[in-house]
Amino acid sequence: MSKIITLIITTLCLQLTAITLHAEWQEPELGYQLNPLVKPVEAPGFTLMDMDEYEYDFSEYSGKVVLLNFWATWCPPCRREMPSMERLHQQNAGKDFTVLAINQMEDADTVFSFFGVLETRPTFNILLDSDSKVSQRYNVRGLPTTYLIDKQGRVRYSAVGGREFDHPEVQKIIDALMQE
Amino acid sequence: MNCTNPLRSGFIASLLAGLTLLAAPLHATDVSVHKNLQTGLLTWTSEEKGFSIELIQLMPDFVRAVYSKHDFPQKEIEHIADYCVFGSILKNTSEQQLTYKVSEWTYTDAQDKTHPVKSKSQWLQEWRKAGITFSWTLLPDDVVFEVGDWQQGFTTIKVPRDQHFDLNYRWTQDDVAYTGSLNNLSCAPATLDQLQ
Repeated sequence: MSKIITLIITTLCLQLTAITLHAEWQEPELGYQLNPLVKPVEAPGFTLMDMDEYEYDFSEYSGKVVLLNFWATWCPPCRREMPSMERLHQQNAGKDFTVLAINQMEDADTVFSFFGVLETRPTFNILLDSDSKVSQRYNVRGLPTTYLIDKQGRVRYSAVGGREFDHPEVQKIIDALMQE
Repeated sequence: MNCTNPLRSGFIASLLAGLTLLAAPLHATDVSVHKNLQTGLLTWTSEEKGFSIELIQLMPDFVRAVYSKHDFPQKEIEHIADYCVFGSILKNTSEQQLTYKVSEWTYTDAQDKTHPVKSKSQWLQEWRKAGITFSWTLLPDDVVFEVGDWQQGFTTIKVPRDQHFDLNYRWTQDDVAYTGSLNNLSCAPATLDQLQ
């Protein structure tokens, strides 16, 4: 019972925070530019839990193109780009592609509450990087940061700041990586 | 063991920042100021040479709420809420890479004294001493922006809440350093009833 009350209060707080942020932060338009790495590097491996405490190893995604996103619920552009990640995930269902969102330093209850305010709950995997160790290995300086990883496990593209990930130009890049 | 004298390193940082600002090309900055009709808070925006900067006044209670949510000790919450905190949005609006380092930024107070802007690394050093592992929300120190990249984070300035100041920022593009300034900035008031 107390857990439910905590969840409701957290949801209300998050909504209040969103309203405050909306009132005080001008929201820049989201672009779609992904930047190719001059020298692709091997994506660091990791093992993280999801919200149901199921353990995922990054090696499970070998052979797939992965959109790896580092985010947090309190980060306004992270919140804004999430629906486009879901649309991208859905429009590539059944292909050698997946979206993987790694939350930074928040617990499962906080993330779960955030999904309660979204129109569509993400169907891609959300993993919890509770001590930000994985983001450090990926040299993430700010949130959101997103990497596009090829089927060989190499980081090929990056994007710092929010994006509209279901833009046709992003899809073109993903298609090209899937065909390699 | 890595020991530094904060007073000394602060002096050297401001000296270096001052020298680098002198060496960089100066450009007149076109700044727009927006007043939020709902909150009365101000936003300053400037864009030139492919670099866009936006500073948004944040009230101390907003800052307190952010860090309370991340379980900061009360002392550390009050410490950062005592600063003049701005939401900052930096963008690369050009078609090539650019870089910036907060350690090269300064502010000039009402007494015409120039000080270095406190960097994220400096905050993290303090937070670690206080047992805080959380490392987000502040504007990253040292960033490479590729085309289309942008970043949001807090910028903290230590000035009395009722005093105006200038922010002197710097970025580099194609090995050329540029400077800009946002003048006559002011902190958000401590409470809403102090808004004019």
